[in-house]
Formats: sequence, structure tokens, C-alpha cells
Amino acid sequence: MNRRWSSLCLASVTAAMLLAGTACGKKGDNTNNTSNDTGAGTTAPSNLLETVKANGEITVGTEGTYAPFTFHGKDGKLTGFDVEIAEEVAKRIGIKAKFIETKWDGMLAGLDAKRFDMVANEVTIRDDRKAKYDFSDPYIVSKSVLIVQKDNTTIKSLADLKGKKSGQSLTSNLADIAKANGAQIVQIEGFNQAIDLLTSGRIDATINDKLSFLDLKKQRPDVPIKVVAETNDASPSGLLFHKGNPELVAAANKALTDMKADGTYLTISKKYFGEDVSK
Amino acid sequence: MSERTERLLHIFADSFMPLLHAGVAFTVPLTLISFALGLLLATGTALARLSEFRALSELARFYVWIIRGTPLLVQLFIIFYGLPSIGITIDAFPAAVIGFTLSVGAYGSEIIRAAIISIPKGQWEAAFSLGQTRLQALRRIILPQAARVSVPPLSNSFISLVKDTSLAASVTFTELFQKGQQISAAVYEPLLIYCEVALIYLLFCTVLSALQRQLEKYFERYSTV
Repeated sequence: MNRRWSSLCLASVTAAMLLAGTACGKKGDNTNNTSNDTGAGTTAPSNLLETVKANGEITVGTEGTYAPFTFHGKDGKLTGFDVEIAEEVAKRIGIKAKFIETKWDGMLAGLDAKRFDMVANEVTIRDDRKAKYDFSDPYIVSKSVLIVQKDNTTIKSLADLKGKKSGQSLTSNLADIAKANGAQIVQIEGFNQAIDLLTSGRIDATINDKLSFLDLKKQRPDVPIKVVAETNDASPSGLLFHKGNPELVAAANKALTDMKADGTYLTISKKYFGEDVSK
Repeated sequence: MSERTERLLHIFADSFMPLLHAGVAFTVPLTLISFALGLLLATGTALARLSEFRALSELARFYVWIIRGTPLLVQLFIIFYGLPSIGITIDAFPAAVIGFTLSVGAYGSEIIRAAIISIPKGQWEAAFSLGQTRLQALRRIILPQAARVSVPPLSNSFISLVKDTSLAASVTFTELFQKGQQISAAVYEPLLIYCEVALIYLLFCTVLSALQRQLEKYFERYSTV
């Protein structure tokens, strides 16, 4: 009797497990083809560049929620400056770019787990990141601005941040600038949240990306905020790769250099920002 | 009507269908599949907890302890980003299903266990006195009554799960909430879009609550009170 009892519960547990394993269909197409396992009977490509060429596509991690760099346009399609740059780089390697959208907190984990081959998401080139990952040459240099409410007259420069609340995301270098100027940091998730906190008066200022600010003003001219200062910090962003794939990084760099030389880069840059953002 | 109101209404109207689509195509299937599998797992776990086999009940206790004691987000991360390091690469959708199934299995098992032990001992004794085995008693007498008791709390879990599925966005699965974030990032109107997302969740949950009422009516036949 007891044996029946336990077999009943074992049966239902295994049923759930089996169903979970199988009910979800076959492995989809975003499996990683970049791991070092060699499929039986196939000759393994010698490096990641060979692998992506053999697959005909490179998988690219991106947020999809960060206008105008990576976002969904009116038609619902993924687009943006970084997206177009990545597409163009892939095209010049002779393959397609396949985007996998993930939140920022899963971005580096996803690269580590080889869920994608590279990241195109306005990632600032920093020494601490260089220790673990490889970057392409910079493809955009963004400046940051100090944003306050429209009718604010007390904050005119970075030095005026002393004792004021500044909304910053903790993982960005902009938080350090705010701290260095004596601001009290309020942690935010992203640009939109910073603007919401600012317009509702919960923070006094935010140091944020100039290009995002310009895009917001373009979309919503009525937002009651203004820029009062620019930081002298110009941070270059690059495509981010797993360490140890020099061939792929070299191919991406060559594509970027060629794009800049033949005017393709400028066309993309002008489309989103109306100016050259490579310097 | 002011220009701003007009613009907001426009955005609201434009984004309603894409959001509804994300909900129907991704949030709903993820919820239904995870809950169905989770319920199986929960029943098995509850019975294991009540089993007289030490090893089995300890194993069930351990599983419930781990799942309830750690954040769901971390569990999803381990399944999706951690397993590849030992050579197991699962796609986003199945990875999310496994994560939510494990969660429903652990929380639901306690509900089912509570429902089973809420049935008076006299019911068991009556069944045994009619010559039924433990398993027969369970299937014919106890579980139908326990099911009736567990409908409201399980509905609670189910409706929570509808909204918990938004965590799947962290493992590259674009469901309703993530779709909302995509739209709000492009139009810079997070509050409006979030309210719209909330409205769609409310829509789904209203339908589910109606289902719960039907279920309760059905199980009323097993009422002994």
C-alpha cells in the first residue's frame, strides 16, 4: 500500500519533469553554436569568426529598450543606432546579425554563458570591463549633460550638485562624477526613470547621456527639463566580445574602419543624431 | 482637447494591440503551461511530504525549502545563464517554464498538503472501514474534498503567476511587461504605458477569476460541510 502511495507521487513528479523537458518543443534556433564542443562527425571551426561565418549569422545581445541606440520603432521592429551599426558590421563580414534582447543585468551574464557572440548596446569602454572582455574600436563617443527641471535656478554647474539629490544608475561612470561633486546619489534603473523622478521633483538633477536627452526632446518637446552643463567626460563605446577571439574582433574593427571611410557610418550617425558621433 | 492629451490617447491606442498580442502570445501560454506542470509537481510533492518513507518526505522538504527560500529571479538566472557552463543550454521559453514550474510546484505543494490534512480523520477511517485501501481512499474520498478546499488558495497562486511571468524578461523572453518597456522606451511615456500594461493584466486576471468561480461551483458537490 505504501509502495503504491510513493509510486503515485513519484509518478506525478516525474511526469511534471518529463513534460517540462519535452512540452516546450524542440530546441529553438537561439542555441549557442559558439561553445567549444565539437559535434560528432563535423570538423569544428577553428575560431569564433569561422564559426559565425559557417552559421551565416552572428548573435548579438542588446536591450531593445534604450532609445535611440536600441529600441522598437513605430512598426514594432528592433532598430536604433547600435542595432544598425551591428547589422552593418555583420553585413561586411558577410553574414547576418541576429539580435537577442535581454535586460542589462542579463547582458554580461548572457555573454559569459555564450548566449550571444557579441553585445551592441552602447557599452562604455572601461578598464574594469577590459579585464574580462574584449572591445572593438570605439564606434561612438557620448558626452554627458547635467539635466535639471526647467525652472531650477540653483543648479548651474556640476559644482552646484553639492548636497543635492542626483539620480544615477550605479553601474555607470556618471554616478562617480555626481559623487565627486558632492551629490547624494538616488539609484535609478534607466534614463526614463531619471526623467520621471526629475519632473516629479523627487530628485534635483541627473547626469545622463546627451544623445538620449536630445532624442527625448525630439519625441516630447513639452518635457519641462533643461540642460545646464556638459561634463568634460567623453566616454567611447564599443562592441563587446568574449575574450580570446582576436579574429572576430579584428574583422569587426575592419568593418568599422571601412564604414567610417566610405561614408556609411556618417549616414547612420546623421539618421539618428543629425551629426557625427564618432568623436 | 490639449495637444498633450491627444498625443497620449494616440500612443495608448497605438500600443494596445501590440501589448495585447504580447500578452496572448507569450504571457498566457507561459502561465498556463507552467501552472499545469507546476500543479502536477505540487501534487506529487505534497504526497511525498505526507509519505511514510523518510527519504521521500525529506527530499520533498528539501526541494520546497530551496525553492521557497531563494529569489525566483536567481533561479531563472541559474537555469538560463548558469547551466550552459556545465554544457546544458536551454532556450528562453523552456528555461522560463522550468523556473516557474519549480516555483509553482514548491508553493502549491504546501497548499495541497494543507488541503489534504484539513480533511477530517473520520473520512479516512470511514473509507478504511468499507475495506478501501489507502490509495483508493485518497483518490475517491480525500482528494476530491481536498481539491475543493484548495481552489481559492491555488487560484491565488495562479493569478500571482500571471504577473510573476514578467521576470521571464530577464532571460531574453519578451512577454507583456517587457513589451511595455520596449514601447515606453521609444515614446518616453512610462507611466501611461505601465498603466496600459496593468489594464491588460487586469483583463487576464478577471477572466481567470471567473474561471475560479466556475471551479468552485463544480467542486461544491464534494462539500461535506
